[in-house]
Amino acid sequence: MNALSPTPTKKYDLSFARWVYRNVDGGDRLALCMQCGTCSGSCPIGAQMDFGPRKLFMMIRAGMKEEVLSSNSMAACVSCYNCVVRCPRKVPVKYILQSLFTVAVREGYAQSVDSDNARFARAFWWSAAKFGRTDERLVTARFYFSYGLSAGFKKSMANLAIAKGMVKAKRMHLGLPHTCKNAGELRKILAKAAEIEARHAT
Amino acid sequence: MTDKQPQSRTIMVVGGGIAGITAAVEAAEAGYDVVMVEKSPTLGGRVAQMNRYFPKLCHPTCGLEINYQRIKTSKRINLFTLSTVAAVKGSAGAYTVTVKTEPRFVKPNCTACGDCAQVAETAIADPFNYGMKTVKAAWLPHTMAFPMRYVVAPEVVRTPEGERIKAACKIGAVDLDDQGASFDLEVGAIVWATGWKPYPAANLTAYRWAELPNVITNVEMERLASPDGPTGGRIVRPSDGAVPKRVALIQCAGSRDLNHLGYCSRICCLASMKHAAYVREQVAEAEVDVYYIDLRAHDKLESFMRRLKADPQVRFVKSKPARIEAGAEDNPVVCGENTLTRDVYAQPYDLVVLATGMQASVEGDGRLAGSYDDYGFVFTEGETIGAGVASGPLDVSMSVQSATAAACKAIQVVSGVRG
Ligand SMILES: Cc1cc2nc3c(=O)[nH]c(=O)nc-3n(C[C@H](O)[C@H](O)[C@H](O)COP(=O)(O)OP(=O)(O)OC[C@H]3O[C@@H](n4cnc5c(N)ncnc54)[C@H](O)[C@@H]3O)c2cc1C
Repeated sequence: MNALSPTPTKKYDLSFARWVYRNVDGGDRLALCMQCGTCSGSCPIGAQMDFGPRKLFMMIRAGMKEEVLSSNSMAACVSCYNCVVRCPRKVPVKYILQSLFTVAVREGYAQSVDSDNARFARAFWWSAAKFGRTDERLVTARFYFSYGLSAGFKKSMANLAIAKGMVKAKRMHLGLPHTCKNAGELRKILAKAAEIEARHAT
Repeated sequence: MTDKQPQSRTIMVVGGGIAGITAAVEAAEAGYDVVMVEKSPTLGGRVAQMNRYFPKLCHPTCGLEINYQRIKTSKRINLFTLSTVAAVKGSAGAYTVTVKTEPRFVKPNCTACGDCAQVAETAIADPFNYGMKTVKAAWLPHTMAFPMRYVVAPEVVRTPEGERIKAACKIGAVDLDDQGASFDLEVGAIVWATGWKPYPAANLTAYRWAELPNVITNVEMERLASPDGPTGGRIVRPSDGAVPKRVALIQCAGSRDLNHLGYCSRICCLASMKHAAYVREQVAEAEVDVYYIDLRAHDKLESFMRRLKADPQVRFVKSKPARIEAGAEDNPVVCGENTLTRDVYAQPYDLVVLATGMQASVEGDGRLAGSYDDYGFVFTEGETIGAGVASGPLDVSMSVQSATAAACKAIQVVSGVRG
């Protein structure tokens, strides 16, 4: 499933916006955005985003698919929900960013694929799918080493004291990872989910 | 049309603001008997609480005084103040309305000399000034009160102070045994002109009106600027009484917001233009920033906005501020995104005014009018007749127009033309 690219021959192309309205979580409410700026003004990390949510939404309407999906805005969102509770049009800003983030990762936009959020999500999902549980130690290791061997080692060493503290407080365990009961059932559920997703993608 | 003949030709008007007054005098001058029911001790409604009002920036006396004269000279208008409608029975042409009157403790022979106020001591929050100042327990609701009659607060009635107030009146107009009343009236049509109340600023938690002394609302600004207001008309900061040099006016504080009022209150943009003008007239060096989503100068009032846009000390910032923070020296700091430049700002001000919208005041009053729209405004259809802001967010001239239309509908009902 690909996000439609706007037709370059048309001056003002709504095809990408319409695609977002239909395929992105909460996207149907995006049409109600009145560009007031409450979301971008409320965003604690808006300064680090290529574009604040308000501008990103206008770019969607303007058909700027490439610029939207290659921006870091979606990956930078910290899910504080200020924008969601304050939006006067009840546009679920955070959910839209998150869903657009998934689209950008799926379509291979580097900013999103290589972001901390995406790396962490992949490590998290790896553990959840494999063991039916998240293992703090393995998720963290997998997340750190996704940056390469030496970067992973450096990050691990820098956080060693925290890890030790967590082990001591029994918040992180050594030894074999915990697993859920009936791992076979879990695999069947995941296979079914993959099948449904593939069906929807066509 | 029905074959049912109206049994009463009397028209009841609920609410004595500019809309209710208009509906009453129009119907009375057309030859119909009118009963007016007003909740507060005086007519005038919110217009009386303004410093001046657009389009011509008249003092409220202009519009109200002439109408008070029309009421005085009419033999057909019966006015009940401190009264509300408790129940409505029957249907168009033959209603039985139960009216409940709160005690005023002052009889109609009051000459408003003020001797009673001289001896009163207990201070109570002054509703006319939105509690920004207090009044003594025997007080005149405001300088343009109609009827021009004092009120005694129930708090002092069975106290020695009450007795002193009674004794101070040389003509015996203070009646501490006043019990109020409840009575039924037969009327043929009811016009609901119960007006509006300011949207509660405390609900806008991100703007911190309840905590920050120098964040006020637009209705408070009207009182600050009024010669009969808490500061005698001087616009000053509530925290220290200093004259504000940098003032922010924040539009759509609650309006056009699905978390608060889902509609545009229509008048706030122009009310804020008025407030920019008040500040600029009083403080030569003052700079005023207007924060807005879009500026909506309805009707024929675009020129008023243009006049302010030409003033280099009035700046327009296209942005709905996200929040207000506490700054140094009690200066509120307005934070948000300028949507034209994409700058994220945090701007300190001496004084911030929230343009809170108008909410129907009938909401929660038992929904006696019968038909309401999704926002709680009276919806004129079938037997239900609304006038003024009770029927939607309108300015004074539109309220007056809608009240004239309402009087016309009521006349049709009681004369059996429609029902
Ligand atoms: C900050 C601000 C500034 C404004 N400035 C202007 C301006 O400059 N020019 C302009 O044209 N408009 C202005 N407006 C709008 C203006 O205030 C309204 O158009 C006007 O008040 C409408 O009059 P009304 O009679 O419909 O309602 P109201 O003025 O609200 O009068 C309603 C009356 O009904 C009474 N009442 C309420 N409930 C009951 C009940 N249950 N039973 C009996 N009586 C009841 C009330 O006590 C009141 O007397 C402004 C509004 C705001 C918020």
